Amino acid sequence: MPTLHDVDYTLEYPYTRTTGPVIGPFLTGLRDGRILGQRCGDRVLCPPMEFDPDTFATLEPDLVEVGPGGEVVNWTWVAEPSAKHPFDRPFGFAFIKLDGAHTSLVHAVDTGGDPEAMSTGMRVQAQFRDERHGSVADVYFVPEADAAEQVIQPGDEPVTITEHLIGLRITEPLYPHRARFAQGLLDGKIIGQRSPVTGKVYVPGRGYDNMSRVLMSESDEVEVSDVGTVVAFTELNPVQYYGQTETEPYVRCSILFDGTDQPVIGIDIRDMTVDEMRVGMRMRCIWRDPEERSVTDIDNRYGNIPETVYARFEPTGEPDIPADELKEHSW
Amino acid sequence: MVSLAEDVAIVAFEQTPSHAHFNDSEPAMIMPCVNSVIEQVGMDRHDIDFTIAGSCDYLSGMPFAFVMNIDAVGAWPPVYESHVEMDGAWALFEGFVRLQSGDIDTVLVSGSGKCSPGSYREGFSLQTDPYVHAPIGLDPRTQAGFQAQALIAAGKATERDFAEVVARSHANAKDNPYAQLSGDLSVDELLAEPYLQQPLRRLDCPPTSDGAAAMVIARADKARELCDNPVWIRAIDHRIDSHHPTLRDLTDSPSARIAADRVGLHDGPVDIAELTVTYSPEEIILRDALGLNGETSVNPSGGPLTGSPFMAVGLTRVIELARAIRNGDGGRGVAHASSGPALQQNLLCVLEGDG
Repeated sequence: MPTLHDVDYTLEYPYTRTTGPVIGPFLTGLRDGRILGQRCGDRVLCPPMEFDPDTFATLEPDLVEVGPGGEVVNWTWVAEPSAKHPFDRPFGFAFIKLDGAHTSLVHAVDTGGDPEAMSTGMRVQAQFRDERHGSVADVYFVPEADAAEQVIQPGDEPVTITEHLIGLRITEPLYPHRARFAQGLLDGKIIGQRSPVTGKVYVPGRGYDNMSRVLMSESDEVEVSDVGTVVAFTELNPVQYYGQTETEPYVRCSILFDGTDQPVIGIDIRDMTVDEMRVGMRMRCIWRDPEERSVTDIDNRYGNIPETVYARFEPTGEPDIPADELKEHSW
Repeated sequence: MVSLAEDVAIVAFEQTPSHAHFNDSEPAMIMPCVNSVIEQVGMDRHDIDFTIAGSCDYLSGMPFAFVMNIDAVGAWPPVYESHVEMDGAWALFEGFVRLQSGDIDTVLVSGSGKCSPGSYREGFSLQTDPYVHAPIGLDPRTQAGFQAQALIAAGKATERDFAEVVARSHANAKDNPYAQLSGDLSVDELLAEPYLQQPLRRLDCPPTSDGAAAMVIARADKARELCDNPVWIRAIDHRIDSHHPTLRDLTDSPSARIAADRVGLHDGPVDIAELTVTYSPEEIILRDALGLNGETSVNPSGGPLTGSPFMAVGLTRVIELARAIRNGDGGRGVAHASSGPALQQNLLCVLEGDG
């Protein structure tokens, strides 16, 4: 088994949410260094809510300042913070009943890493971060005795949108069949898997034949030709979404390699225009020199034949395959 | 208790071991389970009327990961298929409800999850309130810590009680070939371990697990045709509490109480309870909310503390109970699944043997 890179990627999405008539003022307050609760009959709810949590009746926005001091009514100590926690050192999470509020806010308490400093009934005080974005993460709490005086400059416009960049980090080895496929590319070979039930050859293999519901292993693997036929293509005009690295239009195509039953999708063509592409066109892989090949873009879910292993795909000059004969593979 | 239009039974089930790390794809993990249950009922794949799966894209770390999982269930030519972004126990719920219509006979249910590649604490913090909780990464383990602290503060449990749940679970798992952790642990030694999420220690929390489970359920006539020993689903119900933990009494589970009433839990003996005890204090809360006493064997499989493939773990409780009933360990019991942090949402399923 070749030793290749482990998969390590972070899937991120920037979420933007409208804030509404109650959360909006609450987040505006945090940006401006104040904590607001929502009146609900004789009570004040913090975190504020748009409805009475007992009757579910809608509450008219009626916000009142609470805190900045409060009392811990429940707590737990985070010995190993996650990447998404407010602190990268051990800290306490607590239910904090802010002065003037009747419900509790869940938030982080920084005791300088000391769990002994946490207790039910302890007094804490809000501290605001230097950089505030209209998010609940603009604030955190410290033991009252540790609180610093802060002068907070209010912002201008009310907070009507709150942004939250979510991220999921995935780390794992390449699955065995993915590792063999990737090693094949480094060796200038395209490795497929032949179904023991139907004889169909899939490239890259997924470790199973989903048509016959049978697992496949190394003994089912075959080297396939690096010459094939274009079965589909398109021009991509990169939209500048979060994380986009492409800036110029380019061609992406699917190629059915000779002797296989499933096209390899997502092959990028940089030296031909979309006008020069045809379904049925015969193409050959021109590999990079071995020392220039890299498969680090391949993970367990994405990456078929990346540009980091080939110099280009060039037309062979053979007659086209009639498109009609490729209908089964048009993807 | 709600009366049923159709009697429904479990006719086949399969689960993977709880893996610390399954080094292949989620479909490759599910496929052997699906093949096993289809073989058990001796049906052609395409004669199964409805297919439903439970999984979580945030856990898989890929948008539309659940679509890839369809590779495992034999979906070509196309089948009538659905998915819930929940534990497979909720897929079972939907399958059960679907059979009540009376127009189809069989449902293939599956649940799967791989916790090992990612961080379930980060992924599942996204289940929480997106304005006031998710941005500070409020994670399930933290919420379990709050629940544990609340129990202690109320005088309803001690850290020793938690350790006793852990020790009993690990001892029970010694006979379970699917368990990831098992063995004889001393309560005193457990209490000597450092805190991971004070007042919880590492073994009060679940191991990181990958796994899958599948079953076939059928309407009564078909069930008798397909197997000699159907296990009957007498009732199933699920209820939910507030997503604001500070508005809940964390020492109780009102939603589990309501579900227990709705399924008529105590209308008959409760010989076995397979509970989704993801954190040890949850067993104490569930025993109380479900009114379980010494007559009930709780988590004879060892439960999730000994193997916890999220999204399969609830369906696995149903399977463990069905297996125990088939083995004659009891005649009637309850399986419990949970979703959301600190037992926020609870599903109960009452099973009975064919006796």
